[in-house]
Amino acid sequence: MSMSVGTPGRERLLLATLVRWVTPAVLILLLLAFAIASPTFRTPGNLVHILVNNFTLPAIVALGMTLVISAGGIDLSVGTSADIAAMIAVTLMASRHGLGLSLGAGLAGAIGVGMVVSLLVAGLGISPFLATLGVLFVGESVQQLATNGGTPIYLVSNFPAAGLTALAHGTVLGVPVPLWIVLAAALLVQLLLRHTAFGRHVRASGAAPEVARYSGLPVKRTIAAVYVLSALLCGVSGLLLAATVKSYVPLSGNAFLLDAIGAAFVGTTISPEAKPNVPGTLLGVFLFGMLHNGLLLIGWNFYWQQVAVGLLVFTVLAASFAARRLQSAD
Amino acid sequence: MSGEIFNPAETASFAPETRPERASRRRPSSGQTIRLGSLAALVLVFVYFAYAAPGFTALGNLTNIVEQSAVLALLAFGMTAVIVGGGGDVIRGGIDLSLGANLGLCTAVYAVSSAAGYSDSVSVLLTFGAGIAVGALNGLAVVALGILPLLTTLAVMNICAGLELVLTQNTVISSSSPLLAWISSAAWLGLSITSWTFILTAALMLVLVHRTPWGLRLQAVGGHQQAARAAGLRLSLYLVATYMGAGLLAGLASILQAARLSGSSPGSGDILLSVVLTSLMSVVFSRRLAPSIGGTILSVLFIGGLINGFQLLNVSSYWVNGVQGVLILGIVSLRSLSRRPGSV
Repeated sequence: MSMSVGTPGRERLLLATLVRWVTPAVLILLLLAFAIASPTFRTPGNLVHILVNNFTLPAIVALGMTLVISAGGIDLSVGTSADIAAMIAVTLMASRHGLGLSLGAGLAGAIGVGMVVSLLVAGLGISPFLATLGVLFVGESVQQLATNGGTPIYLVSNFPAAGLTALAHGTVLGVPVPLWIVLAAALLVQLLLRHTAFGRHVRASGAAPEVARYSGLPVKRTIAAVYVLSALLCGVSGLLLAATVKSYVPLSGNAFLLDAIGAAFVGTTISPEAKPNVPGTLLGVFLFGMLHNGLLLIGWNFYWQQVAVGLLVFTVLAASFAARRLQSAD
Repeated sequence: MSGEIFNPAETASFAPETRPERASRRRPSSGQTIRLGSLAALVLVFVYFAYAAPGFTALGNLTNIVEQSAVLALLAFGMTAVIVGGGGDVIRGGIDLSLGANLGLCTAVYAVSSAAGYSDSVSVLLTFGAGIAVGALNGLAVVALGILPLLTTLAVMNICAGLELVLTQNTVISSSSPLLAWISSAAWLGLSITSWTFILTAALMLVLVHRTPWGLRLQAVGGHQQAARAAGLRLSLYLVATYMGAGLLAGLASILQAARLSGSSPGSGDILLSVVLTSLMSVVFSRRLAPSIGGTILSVLFIGGLINGFQLLNVSSYWVNGVQGVLILGIVSLRSLSRRPGSV
C-alpha cells in the first residue's frame, strides 16, 4: 500500500472504509431483500436452518483454508480429508465399533492426509497447488477402490445412532451442537492466528517467506503445521456431515472446496490489510449460505441460483478490488 | 519457498541482487536432471504398456490416444498460456479455473443453437463468441479491476456452470449437424479431424509461445512483472490476450466434445482439475522448469497413454486418478530432491 506517500486525504480514508463495508453492506441488503420477498425467510426458524444446514460444515472447512491462505498456500485437498475421515468412521461404525473409537480413527485419518500434504509442501517443497491437487486425485482413487466405484455406506443399524444423532441434531443451552463446534473452531483459529507466536509465523511466512526464513523463523515447521490443522478441521466437518446424513457418500467433500476458497477471499475484503481473517471468512460463508437459502425460498430456479452466486461473488470482489486499486493509485 | 512453483517473481523483489543470478547458475543442471527423469518415467510407462498391454503400440491405438486426448490438450494449452503470462505464484499467479465450465457452456451453446435449427456457421460463431466472451470477462476483471486470477476465474466458473444448466436444464441435448458428422467421419493420412486439430493447435501454440517475439515478451511478463513493465511492455494486453485465447480454445474444444458426445451432456466441468494438473506438470518436462507448451504436449500424451494403457490392461478405471497423482507427485519430488540443500 502506498499509504505513506503524501498525506492520507479525507477522501482516501473514506474510500478505505467504504471498501471494508462492501461485503457487510451486500449481506445486509440481501437479508432485507429476502426478508421482504419471502415470509418464510424472515422466520427465526429459517435463520437457524441457514446456520445449521448451509453454514456449519463449509464454515469449519473455510476456517482451515483461512489458516492455509494466511501462510501463503492453498489447500485443494480439503474434500479428501473430510471424505477420508467420514469413510473410516462410518466403516467402523457399520461394523459395530464404538462411537468414540470410530470418530477418533476418522480424525486420525484426516490428520494422516494432512501429514502427507505437509510432507509434500514443507518437506519436499512442492507447490501447494500441485501437491494438494495430487493428493486430491489419489484420494479419489482410494475412495473409489474402497467403495467399489462410489457406493455410499449407510448406517442401517441404530446401534451408534443415539450418540451420532446427538452430535448432528442435539442442542446445548438451546444452541445446536454443530454451531458450538464452529464457534470452538473459530475461536481456536482466531487465537492461533492473532494471539500466538505461531500465528505471527504463519502470517510472516505468507507475507514474505524469504524474509521470514532469513529472520530465522521456522517457516517449514509452520507451514507443515498449517496443513495438518486444516486437514483436522476438514475431518471434523466430514464427520459432522456423516453424522447428519447417517452415511458416507464418496467424494461428497469436494463440494466444500470452492465455497471455502471463495469465502476466505471474500473475507479479505473486510480487513484493512486485505488479509484472510476469521470474522471475514465466517461472513463470507454465511453470505453464500444465506444466498442459497434465500434464492430457494423466493422460488428461483436452481440453475439460476448458481449464476447468481457467481455474479454476486464477482461483484463483491470487483467492487472491493477496484476501490482498493483507486485507493493506492494516487 | 512453497509459495511458487517455478518462478521467483514475487520473492525476487526481496533480494533482487542475489536471487536471479543464483537461479540462473543453478537451474540448467538440475533442470536437465529433472527433465531427463520425467522423460525416463514417460518412456518407462510406455515401454511397460508396449510389453504388457496387447495392441498398445498398434498404429490404430496410438492415433486413438491422440484423438482421446484432444479436448484435454486444447484446454491445457490455454491454461499453460495463462500461467506463462500470469506467473507462477500460488495466490497471485495466472490460472484459469473457468476453463472446464467454459467448455461445458460452449458445448451447450453449440448443441442448443444447432438443435434450434441454426446453420453450422452460425452455431460455430456463437460457440466461439461465448468462449471468447468468457475469456474477455476473465481478462478484463484481472487487468482492469485487479482481482486475483484465482478468484476471478472461480466466480466466472460458477457463472458459466450456471448458464450451462440454464441452457440445457441439466439434460443431454443431442445434436447432429453436417459439421459434427464431418468431424467424426473424415480422416486424412489416417488421422481424424480431432487428431489434426490437436496436432495443428499444438504446432501453432508451440511457435506462438516459444518462437515468436510476442511469445518471448509474454514469458517476460509472467517471469517478472515489474521488470517487464519497466522494459515498456503493456502487461494488460498480454494478459487479456492469454485469457481470451484460452476462451477461444475452450470454444474449439467444445466442438470436438460435441462431435464425440453427439451433443452436450452435463458434467463437462469435471475436466478442470485434470487440466490444471496437466499444465502444472508441463514444468517437469521443460528445460527451464517453467510451464511450456512442449511440456504440456508431453504431459497430455503421458496422461492419455496412461488412461489408454489401463483400459487395455483391463485395470479398473478407479486406479487411473490415483496412479496419475502418485506419478506426478513422484516426478515433482525429483525436482526438490535434486535441489541443493539451503537453496529455495
